[in-house]
Amino acid sequence: MEWLRIFGARLRGLFRKRNLDRELDSELQTHLELLTQEKIRSGMSVVEARYAARRDFGGVEQTKENYRRQLGVPFLETLAQDLRYALRMLRKSPGFTAVVVLTLALGIGANTAIFSLMNAVLLQSLPVRNPQELVVVRYVAAQSEHADEDFSYPMYQALRDKSSVFDGVIARSGVSFNATYQGQSEHASGELVSGNYYDVLGVRPWLGRLLSPEDDQAPGARPVAVLSYGYWQARFAGDLSIVGKQILLDAHPMTVIGVSPPGFFGTDLARDPAIRVPMMMTLAFRPIPANRMQSARHRWLTIMARRKPDVSIAKAQAATEVLHHQALEEQLNGLGPSVKAHDRERVLASHVLLNEGNQGFAHLRDAMQQPLVMMFSVTAIVLLVTCANLANLLLARSAKRRKEVAVRLAIGAGPGRLIRQWLTESILLGLLGGATGILFAVWLKTGLIHFLPAEFSNTLRAPLDARVLGFLAIASVFTGILFGLAPALQISRSSVTAAMHGEASLAVSGERFFSLRNALVFLQVALSLPLLIGAGLFLHSLRNLRGVDTGFVKENVFLANLNPALNGYSTERIRILYAGLLSRVRSLPGVRAASFTTSSAISGGWDQEGVRVEGYQPRQDEDTSPNAAVISPGYFASLGIPLIAGRDFTDQDNAGRQKVVIINQSFARYFFGDADPLGKRISTDDDPKAPLNMAIIGVVRDSKYVSLREKPRRHFYTAMAQEPHLFDMTLQVRTTDDPRSIGDLVRAQVHDLDPNLPLYATTTLEIQIDDSLTSERLLTWLSTLFGIVATLLASIGLSGVIAFSVARRTREIGIRVALGAQRADILRMVASQTALSVSAGMAVGLAATYASSRLMAGMLYEVRSTDPRSYAAASVLLAAVAALAAYLPARRAAQVDPVTALRYE
Amino acid sequence: MASPRGEVLQGTLDLIVLQTLHAMGPLHGYGIAQRVKQVSEDLLKLNQGTLYPALLRLEQRGWITSKWGASENNRKAKFYSLTRAGRKQLLAETESWERMTALMARLLGGAEGA
Repeated sequence: MEWLRIFGARLRGLFRKRNLDRELDSELQTHLELLTQEKIRSGMSVVEARYAARRDFGGVEQTKENYRRQLGVPFLETLAQDLRYALRMLRKSPGFTAVVVLTLALGIGANTAIFSLMNAVLLQSLPVRNPQELVVVRYVAAQSEHADEDFSYPMYQALRDKSSVFDGVIARSGVSFNATYQGQSEHASGELVSGNYYDVLGVRPWLGRLLSPEDDQAPGARPVAVLSYGYWQARFAGDLSIVGKQILLDAHPMTVIGVSPPGFFGTDLARDPAIRVPMMMTLAFRPIPANRMQSARHRWLTIMARRKPDVSIAKAQAATEVLHHQALEEQLNGLGPSVKAHDRERVLASHVLLNEGNQGFAHLRDAMQQPLVMMFSVTAIVLLVTCANLANLLLARSAKRRKEVAVRLAIGAGPGRLIRQWLTESILLGLLGGATGILFAVWLKTGLIHFLPAEFSNTLRAPLDARVLGFLAIASVFTGILFGLAPALQISRSSVTAAMHGEASLAVSGERFFSLRNALVFLQVALSLPLLIGAGLFLHSLRNLRGVDTGFVKENVFLANLNPALNGYSTERIRILYAGLLSRVRSLPGVRAASFTTSSAISGGWDQEGVRVEGYQPRQDEDTSPNAAVISPGYFASLGIPLIAGRDFTDQDNAGRQKVVIINQSFARYFFGDADPLGKRISTDDDPKAPLNMAIIGVVRDSKYVSLREKPRRHFYTAMAQEPHLFDMTLQVRTTDDPRSIGDLVRAQVHDLDPNLPLYATTTLEIQIDDSLTSERLLTWLSTLFGIVATLLASIGLSGVIAFSVARRTREIGIRVALGAQRADILRMVASQTALSVSAGMAVGLAATYASSRLMAGMLYEVRSTDPRSYAAASVLLAAVAALAAYLPARRAAQVDPVTALRYE
Repeated sequence: MASPRGEVLQGTLDLIVLQTLHAMGPLHGYGIAQRVKQVSEDLLKLNQGTLYPALLRLEQRGWITSKWGASENNRKAKFYSLTRAGRKQLLAETESWERMTALMARLLGGAEGA
């Protein structure tokens, strides 16, 4: 422990330094005086005595210096010294400092912005008690690679009541409400949750109380609701008296019992439900099917569980698997002998999977992981290129600072001391860059979040927390070391004599110097090429997606949403309103067709409904459910989808007539093969005894429904006039000209029908499709931007190297020209070494891209990640830019006038 | 090779200072220098200035402490004195020094005899 005491004493010394200096002064003063008096006593004159005393004492300043060295902590003192010196040097060349700091701010800022998103999406845990104990339960069907998260209510009950490895098992399912309070209706997102939801997650009420297991005992028994903090603030202005009041959810009066705390968003980062109600209230909001809570076939809720602290995931998984199997067997036994042996086997071969649940249901993570990692790699590479470039810049600067280095070497600084000084300077630059980069990071992060689809951007928070700031600090220091190391090592190899001789010495010690700079060019080229290739691939993929055959005509379609149900319209009034609006819009000038639909194309969501089809016997667990939409007559004309057989709906297909459906080609092929589907019957009622009550009257061409990337899907349409309940729908208007110009006319018609009815989410089909490509556009945009930045940086570095080499070899070039060398020879000579580094860099860049191409494959649409055209285009572009960057300074070499050159020096 | 003016090794100087303070009680820097000069009879000539970093070092190790007082000529002076830890250190170093000199004497004596 002695070293600790010494260190403590020294540290104290560091801070009491001025005081101690004065004390030492007076101590030495006394000593000298006593010594002088002694000399006087021995017979010297005063002057002689003073001189003798000094001689005996030795150097006073030297003593003080040694004393001070003993006093403080040399490392800290040197650091302070280096920092002061570095600041002085940076102040002396503000232009250089500004360029470096800004470049670094962009590089580090971009990395920090992406990291903050990665942190929020990939690293952050749920804001609940001990999130590391949570698991997500997933379901894997027999012979399937794919796991989903859906379970039936009976399965949830089995896991909740019989499990010994969990402290609690919760279930939830998303729902949306028409929430009415004091006569005002609006759309609100909601969640049906099990009664133990808040208890198991460990969430405390902000106001009132939260749901408890007692609220969730019997179907429909407790019509209560808990508000999220955000919704309580936005909708009720934080009204404390809301607890105990009733709000209307759809048509059901529900009592607000409490508010959950701020920051709690539930179990899915991408969703922030406003209102939570007990799962036992499910049938009020989802009346169909009526046996939802008993049916083992309906998988509609998701399950999370809290492990007991001493139970590993593997152990919990094994126990849950057993429980799941038992529950399936009981359910099958309950169905009796009607279950075929084959189906029974298949059902029992399904199993459960337990995943880490500390981040909850990670739909956002799954959707964003690959793009985020890709974006992070891109910005990291750009930062590396930036480092290589700054290293080159610093090398050039170190050449100018040779005299300074020479002086330092001459007065006794060792190589270690010089490296430290230079690294201090570059790390300081890195930190300044990082600090400035915070601003850029915040700006870029906000921009990126806005770029995301609205469903994510509204709920995603990416705070600059300790982890992000830690990353920023580490990135700054690391960057500083990275770009400062090469110049620092370079300078530390200088010898006093060479340095004193200045320029002349460069030719002697220059070869290594030169090759270091070429190595940096090599590095920049090798790093830039993958970015350019990536940009090319993304551009290609985006173009493919934009050119994909959607099956409909996307141009000139105006879209708008309408939700009369929120204003208290009954379905009958809605039907009349929709029909009236359609006939008015159809008579507007410039309108070719108009229609309503429950699901508009490429809007990201679509309903699926189970069907029973005449003459088709599905296997026990076969998922036959097609997409479904409710549409009005004129839908296919509005979207330009061709009718292949049969007819479109007409106004005569109403509630009093035979129920009719229109199917698409995939539906026809899947269920009927080559047989004629017209006149065949289907039903959406899954009770096998119910009659097949809908007749197929038409077949339309396949089109894209949810996303541009989807494979052909089975799909059927039902008639709006025959639907028992109508809610919000999307109006689609095909126009002859720019669809946006029709907006005001349509709005006027709606206003005319009901001035209180808002037309919302107005857009065009083309814009809606573009919005579905946000992550593709974002990746393309970022990789193109950064690819160009990296290439420019690399070519600037390359120009610098050649210019430097030309300046160094002016005399040699002069001699060569005088001896008859041609301009072309000179050009070749100057550029050859650099050309070698560029070619080597490109070769390595190509190889690296090829090797890592698998990482990109999943993000590309109909272009292979090894697409030779993209590789070739990027290489040619980079080579051309490099050649230009080399040519400009090399031309100066070719124009060297031998007479001037030989007079040099 | 022997320098007429004996070079003082760092460890030796520490030992001398500790021994001086042990023998004489609290002294200021000048006093220590005087005492060293007397005892060594000018054989050991050290630059008196080198005492001060040594004193600081010993103080940092906790072997001596210092207190301000008045010198003979009534000037402010720092008086150094041995601590308990210093006394123990002196003992330990004296022992090891004696072992070392004994060893050296035997070695060198043997060399002369051969």
